[in-house]
Amino acid sequence: MSKKQVRQQFADTMLAVGQEDPDLVVMVGDISHGILQPFAKACPGRYYNVGILEPTIMSMGAGLARVGLFPVIHTIAPFLIERAFEQIKLDFCYHGLHGNIVTVGSAFDYAYLGCTHHCYGDFALLKTLQGVQITYPSTPVEFDTLFRSAYRNDTVTVYRVPGSQHGVTFGAGDIRLGKGIKVADGRDITLIATGPQLRTGLDARSLLASRGLEAEVLYIHTIRPLDEELILASVSKTKHVVVIEEHMRSGGLGDDVLRAIRKLPKVKYASASIPDTFIRAYGSYEDHCEMVGLSPSGVAALVESEFGR
Amino acid sequence: MSQPVKAMHAGTSKILNKDLRRQIVDMVVAGNNGHIPSAFSIVDIVSYLYRHVLKVDPRNPEWEERDYFILSKGHGCLGLYVNLHRHGFITDENVTQFCRKGGILGEHPDFKKVPGAEASTGSLGHGFSYAVGIALGHRIKGRENRIFVLVGDGECHEGTVWEAAHVARNYELGKLCVVIDWNQSGMQLLPHDDLPGKWKAFGWNAMVIDGHNDDELRRAFDNVRFESRGVPTVIVAKTVKGKGVPMLEGHGMWHHRIPNAEEYAKIMETLA
Repeated sequence: MSKKQVRQQFADTMLAVGQEDPDLVVMVGDISHGILQPFAKACPGRYYNVGILEPTIMSMGAGLARVGLFPVIHTIAPFLIERAFEQIKLDFCYHGLHGNIVTVGSAFDYAYLGCTHHCYGDFALLKTLQGVQITYPSTPVEFDTLFRSAYRNDTVTVYRVPGSQHGVTFGAGDIRLGKGIKVADGRDITLIATGPQLRTGLDARSLLASRGLEAEVLYIHTIRPLDEELILASVSKTKHVVVIEEHMRSGGLGDDVLRAIRKLPKVKYASASIPDTFIRAYGSYEDHCEMVGLSPSGVAALVESEFGR
Repeated sequence: MSQPVKAMHAGTSKILNKDLRRQIVDMVVAGNNGHIPSAFSIVDIVSYLYRHVLKVDPRNPEWEERDYFILSKGHGCLGLYVNLHRHGFITDENVTQFCRKGGILGEHPDFKKVPGAEASTGSLGHGFSYAVGIALGHRIKGRENRIFVLVGDGECHEGTVWEAAHVARNYELGKLCVVIDWNQSGMQLLPHDDLPGKWKAFGWNAMVIDGHNDDELRRAFDNVRFESRGVPTVIVAKTVKGKGVPMLEGHGMWHHRIPNAEEYAKIMETLA
């Protein structure tokens, strides 16, 4: 596993891209201020720690895009996606403007801080917005590669930066926006994982192997546009699919997988995800994962209870 | 603590822009939609801007060196449309198709459709923050464009207005000029509404004028410094909702009402 946090890679990528591209502008809501100082120093006049006013930062970002700049807007997920949702919808999307939204603290990454700092409905919200690209880069190389390939696109791209990593090493050449990755072959069940939960999927695969089941593991770093072709090819073969994600059951990756496979006959589906409720418990990120069944044993149990295997 | 203001702004007795007001009424009647009083409240301000202040080119609405005019209170758009029409941004045909299938003019402006409209507004509390981004963006690019934003006084209930005011002052966006359409709509609900005092408290240059008087508009805009890095200016324009036609003035049923034939005749007689 990379020792470097994905969030640090965000700062490093801003520095590298910002030195190459004079139109890159970074605005933050009073977080990551320290790690972005190299960018601020190398790119004077293009770094703004605006303050605690996320809706206005979002609208300002659209204004920057309107004059031909490429804004990067960064703070904690619930405040950026949920509080400033209408600004994303109207000021960026309705205006047809481009921009980059980099969140940290998605799902329950900030587990100890309670529900005000949780955000497990972001995919669902963002998917209602026309043209928004949603990525979940969970290693440094994924962030750097996806950002460089997408930040000058003519739409909004969201980068959901997690606090943990899945531990699989990909090369930059493995990562393409909108393309999933088959991480392990199998014939009996397809496990589709996004974000750090790829680790859960791979460990669950080992548990299932002890029961004589061969699981194919797919990794999805781009929620939208979704690589339906990869999913269809796998599920056509296995006829059983579990989607593993740190998102509410409603509106997450699982819903899109269901839509993708709707025409396949005799397919069984199960969702390892966050229940559609507030997670009021305290404890660590790992505690929360265990509690909602986002664990290898949880996925293995789901396969048994839902598929009888 | 400020006292609630109850008396409605009187405004000047002389009615400007009667031709534009008549056109607004005609558009509303033909399109069977529209906010006449809101448009009458701002039409003199917008008219003054397009006649005397804004550096724009109707043949090239995206001209890089232009001034920006952003109508943050999008429901006043008829006051913008008639001025865009007068100055050649939009055509006679566009006007006759207001709110009709296939037309480009709706009850809120869509900048993807309307030449000269800089923002798609309607949901209050967006246009000003967006304009702050435009002003900052031009400064980053080393340009001298000026940005004018017209904000409603009711719109000033929105917290984002004050977020944007806070940022613009601290970033010294001196090329930014906000005009408040102070027709006292906001005071109906929240009567303690010392708008000039609030803007001054946020550190802005604040002027209070009669928004239906060309001399006062001239005095105000002539006194904006438009420094690349300086204190931004707000012009708090006392206006009257429905200004020009007594039966339309105030905050009653006419906010979104279509005149019938008899009412139309009376309005046109007043604006003759």
